[in-house]
Amino acid sequence: MRYVSPLIQKECVEDIFSSRGAVLYLVGCGILSVFSLLLVSNTELSLLDNAQAVYMMVGIVIGLAVLIAVIRGSDGFAGERERETLETLLTAPIDAEDAAMAKLAGIAFSWLIIFLLSVPYLWAVGSTGQNLWPAFEYLFLAGTLLVLIFGGFTLALSARIKTVKGVLSIGLLLFLVCGSPIVMGPSLRQSVIGRFMDVVNPFGVALNMLDSVVVDSQGILVQILPLAVLLCYTGAVLLFLHLATRRMGL
Amino acid sequence: MKKHFLLSLTFLTIFLFVPAMNGRAEVPSIQVAIDPPPGALTMGDKAVFQGTVYNAGHQHLQGLVVYLSLVSLEPGHEHPMDLEDWSAQKAIRIKRLAPGETGARNWSMRLIRSGRYGVTLTVVDPRESRPMVSNLIRFAVLPKPAIASGRIVPVAIGEPLIVLFLFGLFSGLHNRRRQTRDRKRVRP
Repeated sequence: MRYVSPLIQKECVEDIFSSRGAVLYLVGCGILSVFSLLLVSNTELSLLDNAQAVYMMVGIVIGLAVLIAVIRGSDGFAGERERETLETLLTAPIDAEDAAMAKLAGIAFSWLIIFLLSVPYLWAVGSTGQNLWPAFEYLFLAGTLLVLIFGGFTLALSARIKTVKGVLSIGLLLFLVCGSPIVMGPSLRQSVIGRFMDVVNPFGVALNMLDSVVVDSQGILVQILPLAVLLCYTGAVLLFLHLATRRMGL
Repeated sequence: MKKHFLLSLTFLTIFLFVPAMNGRAEVPSIQVAIDPPPGALTMGDKAVFQGTVYNAGHQHLQGLVVYLSLVSLEPGHEHPMDLEDWSAQKAIRIKRLAPGETGARNWSMRLIRSGRYGVTLTVVDPRESRPMVSNLIRFAVLPKPAIASGRIVPVAIGEPLIVLFLFGLFSGLHNRRRQTRDRKRVRP
């Protein structure tokens, strides 16, 4: 733990002081700004119910968080390998699993920053409507679990695949497939494939949970099953990460 | 005389029964109706319309396609509405409907815009050449203040600028601290 703490600190702080982190968060802010301005300027969107607008915004925040988790996870070990700094990391008095946990903590910290950046936007969009506070609570909960799932999965892949390009390709493909509920309309999601995706896909599960909380004002009892599904995915990904980093080579 | 009587009887029979037979043929075997939700409807509400399809014929009906249509009835701006925007289900398929059976279903939609609208339910029987359409149900959606632009614009423009400033500040402080540390290391 003595040697892991500085590594966690380094992973967390790296994003704030590096130009890469600044660009990622600025792009995130830009996307949220464009969408919120669209809500005001577009006639159809400006007439949306507050809760519906918050739900749409929440979907974009989660999409951004998962995208950044995939990018950071892909760079995790494969990036160190390409920059030839992995050897130095592995010769430090910590094992690869601790390094993976530190990197995952860094990804979770990125999510925390995105969440904090999204708070003013959600407040501006939904403060006159209902369910804003539950939206914050469940966004934080679902976002944290999704970031651990996608970030952890790509981090595990980066421990086994040699190049960032390879991991990033798989990660982005997975993001596109899993993120499809954002672009699919309610009618398409009523189809067999849509329903199947909603049950199996952690992204769909999280979005349905947020829909039920923010739009339909449903309580915690309804959310137990989706939360259990997300926790199962998180557990499986953490196990995969543990196995992938156990015998990691250069 | 008898011949005249028989001829008259034949004509009478034709005049009496043929229209009746035609009338019987015109009775639709499918009856479709849609009922509006009770009370006033306001923007943002999730209105649930109840649609019913009744098999008034003597045969089983199979593979019926039932779909919803929504039109804006604002004077001078009448146009069909895209149900996708209203989060409404567009169509369903009724696999089988026995004689005398009624298929009921709720059609929900989120009311995203105020104004005057009309909704109908159409049933297409693959064996018939003419679809059955319900009566047009007229309803009004009352306006409701939604997204406040006075709050969104300052946040949308101000936050990226603040983030840019903060990252610049942090980065500058970090670099200065690093330079000071490096200088201290070189001095001895």
